[in-house]
Amino acid sequence: MASLITCPHCGTRPKEEFSIRGAAAPKRPSPTAKDEAWHVYVYVRDNPKGRYQEYWHHVAGCRRFLVVERDNLTHEVFGVTDAAEFERAGADE
Amino acid sequence: MSINLLHRHVLDDHISGFETDTNPNHLSIIRRPVIFSVLAHESRETAVAEALWNAEDVAPRFCSPSEWLAVSRTVGAGMVADMLSGIAGASFVDQSDGRVLVEISGPSVRAILAKCVAIDLHPEVFEEGHSAAMLCCHAEANVARTGADRFEIIVPRSLAGSVFEELMEMGREHALTRGFVD
Repeated sequence: MASLITCPHCGTRPKEEFSIRGAAAPKRPSPTAKDEAWHVYVYVRDNPKGRYQEYWHHVAGCRRFLVVERDNLTHEVFGVTDAAEFERAGADE
Repeated sequence: MSINLLHRHVLDDHISGFETDTNPNHLSIIRRPVIFSVLAHESRETAVAEALWNAEDVAPRFCSPSEWLAVSRTVGAGMVADMLSGIAGASFVDQSDGRVLVEISGPSVRAILAKCVAIDLHPEVFEEGHSAAMLCCHAEANVARTGADRFEIIVPRSLAGSVFEELMEMGREHALTRGFVD
Protein backbone atom coordinates (compact mmCIF):
# COMPACT_ATOMS: atom_id res chain seq x y z
CA MET A 1 0.00 0.00 0.00
CA ALA A 2 1.28 3.44 -0.87
CA SER A 3 1.94 4.92 2.54
CA LEU A 4 2.59 8.59 1.79
CA ILE A 5 0.08 10.55 -0.27
CA THR A 6 0.76 14.11 -1.34
CA CYS A 7 -2.60 15.83 -1.00
CA PRO A 8 -2.85 18.86 -3.32
CA HIS A 9 -4.33 20.88 -0.45
CA CYS A 10 -2.55 19.57 2.66
CA GLY A 11 0.83 18.31 1.53
CA THR A 12 2.41 14.93 2.25
CA ARG A 13 0.26 12.87 4.58
CA PRO A 14 0.25 9.29 5.89
CA LYS A 15 -2.31 6.88 4.42
CA GLU A 16 -4.03 6.56 7.83
CA GLU A 17 -5.66 9.94 7.19
CA PHE A 18 -7.47 8.64 4.10
CA SER A 19 -10.36 6.35 3.33
CA ILE A 20 -10.24 4.49 0.00
CA ARG A 21 -13.51 4.69 -1.88
CA GLY A 22 -12.94 2.50 -4.93
CA ALA A 23 -12.01 2.76 -8.58
CA ALA A 24 -12.26 6.16 -10.23
CA ALA A 25 -12.30 4.97 -13.83
CA PRO A 26 -15.96 3.80 -14.19
CA LYS A 27 -18.15 6.56 -15.58
CA ARG A 28 -21.59 7.00 -14.06
CA PRO A 29 -24.27 6.22 -16.68
CA SER A 30 -27.13 8.63 -17.33
CA PRO A 31 -30.23 8.13 -15.12
CA THR A 32 -32.16 6.80 -18.11
CA ALA A 33 -29.51 4.25 -19.09
CA LYS A 34 -30.44 0.59 -19.34
CA ASP A 35 -30.35 -1.65 -16.29
CA GLU A 36 -27.42 -3.53 -17.81
CA ALA A 37 -25.33 -0.36 -17.89
CA TRP A 38 -26.20 0.37 -14.26
CA HIS A 39 -25.45 -3.22 -13.26
CA VAL A 40 -22.01 -2.93 -14.83
CA TYR A 41 -21.39 0.44 -13.20
CA VAL A 42 -22.44 -0.69 -9.72
CA TYR A 43 -21.19 -4.27 -9.54
CA VAL A 44 -18.70 -5.16 -12.24
CA ARG A 45 -15.13 -4.20 -11.53
CA ASP A 46 -11.79 -5.04 -13.05
CA ASN A 47 -9.16 -6.26 -10.66
CA PRO A 48 -6.10 -4.81 -12.35
CA LYS A 49 -2.52 -5.41 -11.42
CA GLY A 50 -0.44 -2.29 -11.94
CA ARG A 51 -1.46 1.27 -12.63
CA TYR A 52 -4.79 2.12 -11.10
CA GLN A 53 -6.96 5.20 -10.44
CA GLU A 54 -8.84 5.31 -7.16
CA TYR A 55 -10.97 7.72 -5.17
CA TRP A 56 -9.38 8.53 -1.82
CA HIS A 57 -11.28 10.60 0.72
CA HIS A 58 -9.00 12.75 2.89
CA VAL A 59 -11.09 12.16 5.99
CA ALA A 60 -8.72 13.53 8.60
CA GLY A 61 -7.46 16.45 6.56
CA CYS A 62 -9.22 18.68 4.06
CA ARG A 63 -12.16 16.24 3.70
CA ARG A 64 -11.95 16.49 -0.08
CA PHE A 65 -12.26 13.56 -2.47
CA LEU A 66 -9.01 12.97 -4.32
CA VAL A 67 -8.12 10.77 -7.26
CA VAL A 68 -4.90 8.89 -6.57
CA GLU A 69 -3.17 7.23 -9.50
CA ARG A 70 -0.93 4.52 -8.14
CA ASP A 71 0.61 1.18 -8.94
CA ASN A 72 -0.85 -1.49 -6.72
CA LEU A 73 2.13 -3.75 -7.39
CA THR A 74 5.10 -1.45 -6.78
CA HIS A 75 3.24 1.00 -4.48
CA GLU A 76 4.46 3.91 -6.59
CA VAL A 77 2.18 6.97 -6.59
CA PHE A 78 2.04 8.75 -9.96
CA GLY A 79 -0.23 11.64 -9.15
CA VAL A 80 -2.91 12.99 -6.88
CA THR A 81 -5.63 15.36 -8.09
CA ASP A 82 -8.73 16.80 -6.52
CA ALA A 83 -11.76 14.78 -7.65
CA ALA A 84 -13.54 17.96 -8.81
CA GLU A 85 -10.64 18.75 -11.16
CA PHE A 86 -10.56 15.11 -12.28
CA GLU A 87 -14.25 15.31 -13.21
CA ARG A 88 -13.73 18.58 -15.06
CA ALA A 89 -10.78 17.18 -16.98
CA GLY A 90 -12.85 14.10 -17.87
CA ALA A 91 -15.77 16.25 -19.04
CA ASP A 92 -13.50 18.28 -21.32
CA GLU A 93 -12.29 15.20 -23.20
CA MET B 1 -35.43 28.44 43.21
CA SER B 2 -32.97 29.77 40.72
CA ILE B 3 -30.26 27.71 39.12
CA ASN B 4 -26.82 29.16 38.71
CA LEU B 5 -25.30 28.01 35.45
CA LEU B 6 -21.54 27.96 35.77
CA HIS B 7 -19.16 27.71 32.87
CA ARG B 8 -17.10 24.57 33.27
CA HIS B 9 -14.39 23.72 30.80
CA VAL B 10 -14.49 20.16 29.47
CA LEU B 11 -10.89 19.63 30.68
CA ASP B 12 -11.64 20.77 34.25
CA ASP B 13 -12.10 17.13 35.23
CA HIS B 14 -8.72 16.19 33.79
CA ILE B 15 -6.77 18.68 35.85
CA SER B 16 -6.60 17.96 39.53
CA GLY B 17 -4.18 18.69 42.35
CA PHE B 18 -2.14 21.79 42.92
CA GLU B 19 -1.10 24.16 40.21
CA THR B 20 2.67 24.14 40.20
CA ASP B 21 5.03 26.59 38.57
CA THR B 22 5.15 26.28 34.82
CA ASN B 23 8.12 24.60 33.21
CA PRO B 24 9.65 25.78 29.92
CA ASN B 25 7.54 23.15 28.17
CA HIS B 26 3.98 24.11 28.94
CA LEU B 27 0.51 23.27 27.72
CA SER B 28 -1.99 26.11 28.15
CA ILE B 29 -5.70 25.43 27.87
CA ILE B 30 -7.52 28.53 26.70
CA ARG B 31 -10.63 28.70 28.83
CA ARG B 32 -13.01 30.58 26.56
CA PRO B 33 -11.73 31.01 23.01
CA VAL B 34 -13.94 32.17 20.17
CA ILE B 35 -13.89 29.70 17.29
CA PHE B 36 -16.02 30.13 14.18
CA SER B 37 -16.21 27.75 11.27
CA VAL B 38 -16.21 29.67 7.98
CA LEU B 39 -17.22 28.22 4.62
CA ALA B 40 -16.83 29.98 1.28
CA HIS B 41 -19.50 29.77 -1.38
CA GLU B 42 -18.50 28.28 -4.70
CA SER B 43 -15.99 30.39 -6.66
CA ARG B 44 -15.65 32.88 -3.76
CA GLU B 45 -12.83 30.94 -2.07
CA THR B 46 -9.93 33.30 -2.76
CA ALA B 47 -11.88 36.44 -1.85
CA VAL B 48 -13.03 34.96 1.46
CA ALA B 49 -9.52 33.70 2.28
CA GLU B 50 -8.09 37.14 1.58
CA ALA B 51 -10.68 38.85 3.78
CA LEU B 52 -10.00 36.41 6.61
CA TRP B 53 -6.24 36.90 6.44
CA ASN B 54 -6.66 40.67 6.49
CA ALA B 55 -9.09 40.64 9.43
CA GLU B 56 -7.97 42.17 12.70
CA ASP B 57 -8.21 40.33 16.05
CA VAL B 58 -8.97 37.05 14.27
CA ALA B 59 -6.51 34.29 13.42
CA PRO B 60 -7.60 32.22 10.40
CA ARG B 61 -6.86 28.49 10.39
CA PHE B 62 -6.81 26.60 7.12
CA CYS B 63 -8.99 23.44 6.98
CA SER B 64 -9.65 22.91 3.28
CA PRO B 65 -9.76 25.06 0.11
CA SER B 66 -13.19 26.42 1.05
CA GLU B 67 -13.20 26.04 4.81
CA TRP B 68 -11.42 27.82 7.64
CA LEU B 69 -11.64 28.31 11.35
CA ALA B 70 -11.61 31.88 12.63
CA VAL B 71 -10.04 31.92 16.10
CA SER B 72 -9.89 34.80 18.52
CA ARG B 73 -8.58 34.98 22.06
CA THR B 74 -9.08 38.71 22.45
CA VAL B 75 -12.54 39.70 21.21
CA GLY B 76 -15.99 38.27 21.89
CA ALA B 77 -18.15 36.08 19.68
CA GLY B 78 -20.44 38.99 18.78
CA MET B 79 -17.63 41.06 17.31
CA VAL B 80 -16.26 38.12 15.33
CA ALA B 81 -19.75 37.36 13.98
CA ASP B 82 -20.15 41.01 12.96
CA MET B 83 -16.82 40.95 11.17
CA LEU B 84 -17.61 37.66 9.39
CA SER B 85 -21.05 38.81 8.27
CA GLY B 86 -19.30 41.62 6.42
CA ILE B 87 -17.47 39.15 4.17
CA ALA B 88 -19.37 38.54 0.94
CA GLY B 89 -19.74 34.91 -0.08
CA ALA B 90 -19.01 33.41 3.33
CA SER B 91 -21.19 31.36 5.66
CA PHE B 92 -20.15 30.91 9.27
CA VAL B 93 -21.25 29.26 12.47
CA ASP B 94 -20.09 29.67 16.07
CA GLN B 95 -18.25 26.55 17.22
CA SER B 96 -16.70 27.96 20.38
CA ASP B 97 -18.47 25.44 22.62
CA GLY B 98 -17.77 22.52 20.31
CA ARG B 99 -14.01 22.93 20.03
CA VAL B 100 -11.22 23.05 22.55
CA LEU B 101 -8.17 25.21 21.98
CA VAL B 102 -4.84 24.33 23.60
CA GLU B 103 -1.47 25.93 23.12
CA ILE B 104 1.75 23.99 23.55
CA SER B 105 5.07 25.78 23.75
CA GLY B 106 8.63 25.26 24.84
CA PRO B 107 12.04 24.16 23.57
CA SER B 108 11.03 20.47 23.26
CA VAL B 109 7.68 21.10 21.60
CA ARG B 110 8.67 19.52 18.30
CA ALA B 111 9.97 16.39 20.02
CA ILE B 112 6.66 16.08 21.86
CA LEU B 113 4.49 16.72 18.81
CA ALA B 114 6.57 14.31 16.72
CA LYS B 115 4.93 11.55 18.76
CA CYS B 116 1.44 12.97 18.18
CA VAL B 117 1.24 14.02 14.54
CA ALA B 118 2.54 12.26 11.44
CA ILE B 119 3.62 15.30 9.45
CA ASP B 120 6.91 17.15 9.18
CA LEU B 121 6.97 20.12 11.57
CA HIS B 122 10.35 21.45 10.47
CA PRO B 123 10.13 25.27 10.29
CA GLU B 124 11.02 25.21 6.59
CA VAL B 125 8.09 22.87 5.84
CA PHE B 126 5.54 23.92 8.44
CA GLU B 127 6.23 27.64 8.69
CA GLU B 128 5.16 30.11 11.32
CA GLY B 129 1.56 31.13 10.61
CA HIS B 130 0.91 27.85 8.79
CA SER B 131 -2.07 25.74 9.84
CA ALA B 132 -3.63 22.50 8.63
CA ALA B 133 -6.11 19.81 9.57
CA MET B 134 -4.42 16.55 10.56
CA LEU B 135 -4.59 13.61 12.90
CA CYS B 136 -3.23 14.49 16.34
CA CYS B 137 -3.18 11.61 18.84
CA HIS B 138 -5.62 9.74 16.52
CA ALA B 139 -8.14 12.60 16.69
CA GLU B 140 -8.95 15.03 13.91
CA ALA B 141 -7.32 18.30 14.87
CA ASN B 142 -6.31 21.61 13.42
CA VAL B 143 -2.68 22.36 14.22
CA ALA B 144 -1.18 25.82 13.68
CA ARG B 145 2.32 27.12 14.27
CA THR B 146 2.04 30.47 16.03
CA GLY B 147 5.71 30.86 16.92
CA ALA B 148 9.08 29.19 16.49
CA ASP B 149 8.38 26.83 19.41
CA ARG B 150 4.68 27.38 19.84
CA PHE B 151 1.71 25.50 18.38
CA GLU B 152 -2.03 25.83 18.75
CA ILE B 153 -4.17 22.70 18.55
CA ILE B 154 -7.94 22.76 18.08
CA VAL B 155 -9.78 19.49 18.73
CA PRO B 156 -13.47 18.59 18.95
CA ARG B 157 -14.76 18.91 22.49
CA SER B 158 -15.67 15.24 22.83
CA LEU B 159 -12.11 14.16 21.95
CA ALA B 160 -10.35 16.83 24.00
CA GLY B 161 -9.96 14.65 27.10
CA SER B 162 -8.17 11.83 25.33
CA VAL B 163 -6.00 14.20 23.27
CA PHE B 164 -5.07 16.11 26.43
CA GLU B 165 -4.13 12.94 28.33
CA GLU B 166 -2.03 11.73 25.42
CA LEU B 167 -0.25 15.08 24.98
CA MET B 168 0.62 15.08 28.68
CA GLU B 169 1.87 11.49 28.44
CA MET B 170 4.06 12.34 25.45
CA GLY B 171 5.36 15.43 27.25
CA ARG B 172 6.20 13.62 30.47
CA GLU B 173 9.84 12.98 29.58
CA HIS B 174 10.16 16.71 28.79
CA ALA B 175 8.51 17.75 32.09
CA LEU B 176 5.49 19.24 30.34
CA THR B 177 3.24 21.19 32.71
CA ARG B 178 -0.34 22.25 32.09
CA GLY B 179 -2.77 24.89 33.22
CA PHE B 180 -5.71 27.06 32.24
CA VAL B 181 -5.32 30.57 30.92
CA ASP B 182 -8.19 33.03 30.75
